[in-house]
Amino acid sequence: MNLPLRFLLTGILALFVAVGWLIVRPDILATYHYNQYVIALTHLLVLGWICTVVMGAMYQLVPVALETRLHSERLAKWQFVFQVVGVAGMVWMFWVWNMKQVGHFGSVLALGVALFVFNLVRTLLKVPRWTLVATAVTAALFWFSLTIVVGLSIATAKCTYDSAEQLSPTSILGAMIHGLRSVAGFMARFDQISAMHAHAHLGGVGFFVMMIVGVSYKLIPMFTLSEVQSHRRAAASIALLNVGLAGSFMTILLRSPWKLAFTLLMVAGLAVYGWELRAMLRARKRRSLDWGLRYFLTAVSLLAPLSILALVLSWPGLRLTAFTGQLENLYGFLGLVGVISFAILGMLYKILPFLVWFGSYGQEIGRSQVPALADMYSAKWQIAGYWMFLSGLMTTSVATVAANPLGVRAGCALLALSLATFAVNVGKILSHWLRPIIVPLNVKAPPCSPTTARSTAAPLGSLISAS
Amino acid sequence: MQVDEPLIRETLRQVIDPEINCNIVDLGLIYDIVIHGSRVLVRMTLTTPGCPMHELIANGVQMALLNLEGVDEVEVELVWDPPWHPDMMTDVGRARVGMVPR
Repeated sequence: MNLPLRFLLTGILALFVAVGWLIVRPDILATYHYNQYVIALTHLLVLGWICTVVMGAMYQLVPVALETRLHSERLAKWQFVFQVVGVAGMVWMFWVWNMKQVGHFGSVLALGVALFVFNLVRTLLKVPRWTLVATAVTAALFWFSLTIVVGLSIATAKCTYDSAEQLSPTSILGAMIHGLRSVAGFMARFDQISAMHAHAHLGGVGFFVMMIVGVSYKLIPMFTLSEVQSHRRAAASIALLNVGLAGSFMTILLRSPWKLAFTLLMVAGLAVYGWELRAMLRARKRRSLDWGLRYFLTAVSLLAPLSILALVLSWPGLRLTAFTGQLENLYGFLGLVGVISFAILGMLYKILPFLVWFGSYGQEIGRSQVPALADMYSAKWQIAGYWMFLSGLMTTSVATVAANPLGVRAGCALLALSLATFAVNVGKILSHWLRPIIVPLNVKAPPCSPTTARSTAAPLGSLISAS
Repeated sequence: MQVDEPLIRETLRQVIDPEINCNIVDLGLIYDIVIHGSRVLVRMTLTTPGCPMHELIANGVQMALLNLEGVDEVEVELVWDPPWHPDMMTDVGRARVGMVPR
């Protein structure tokens, strides 16, 4: 199977598991979020679903969007193994709250992430023309790496190092244990919950939102036949988001009242992004917006309520009550499910048919009648899925604020129904992979093999001068 | 049999961009066709540099034309100058993407 497709399907599987889990245990979202179950489920969603899909999509799209080739497919294959083992182990160990093993499985995951980042950085170094999209991807990779480092440090701080006394710091194992103990000592300076929030922000905003904003400037013009309307505006959105995030990470970690100022910077970045997005859409030549794009654009517009929530939650001196605790839950849920997952579902309706089409029909183009990408799935199911997702999102949000487990269950059931429609369409798309529908064109002569075409192409340069 | 430009254009209508679901001729991607006996040069572009369909569409053009009786050699030259613009679409292409016809 094609490598990006392997990542995408694995990610989709993790999403199904996560939503099923929430239906069985709705109390997870209806209580304060600092417990092992919320953390296990969050990592299943964030690492299993979102990260895996984003990685697969990046392996496919970064080289294409930046007009170069992926540095190494082999490294990516190895990363896939580390990713699956790392995530599965981490989620399981969070659930039983064994932080030592979380650290071990987290290190496996981190090794994979190192390969991923290395592979993409090498790819970026080959980019012929540096663009804003390349800058956004680089920033996203940087914040993602930092997220992993901070996450592992938090896990380190939750372990004990009794064996350090018996081990000499000059031995390999001793040096490692002493090193980990120093990290734990350093992390003890920070408030645990603040460190967790800072870690979550780095990943959520730094990796995912940065990628969504960055690739918008390539994909929205490509899919709607439009152009970036103001490159300065686009660059400003990325810059504000980066500066805001750097400050926000520090101020969340240190519980500083300056947090609000940096939240404002990030919100300003998102507002400028929304402004440019609107301008690109108004200038588009392809009038109809397909439903994949509507998923994406609806998700992105949910950044507006999310920004308001962010401003409220970063208000200096905000007291933690049961209600503000639920608002924090809502913030996380709306960000991860409402914005990021919804946007990814929309983009999957673009990339999944494309990848399958590429494999099944790529060589048939010009030889056979090949289906259009939109013919590979049912638009009816896709539209039904859109409305169910949106209503599930609203229901779960209201129920989360009201701390009502029954409402959370109802909302998640709607989300699960929406995912069922998605599963039907994924099945339809994959059926083209298993059984391609190829109808020969009305040919006047027997078709030539591609080899003939390639071998005869070389000496024809002279034709240009002949014209 | 000697092929001519209208026949080549008609044949290239069999090559579609699966994302837009429109053939490459009505999309305005074909800039120039040069016929020299049984050899054909197609100078064309794509809607965006770094289009994921890049090689497949170019390959599809070769395949479609090599199917024609009287064509033995096909060369596809991808160019980015002038850059493609939606105004290059024919009325059929414009209708496909929901633009008003000229």
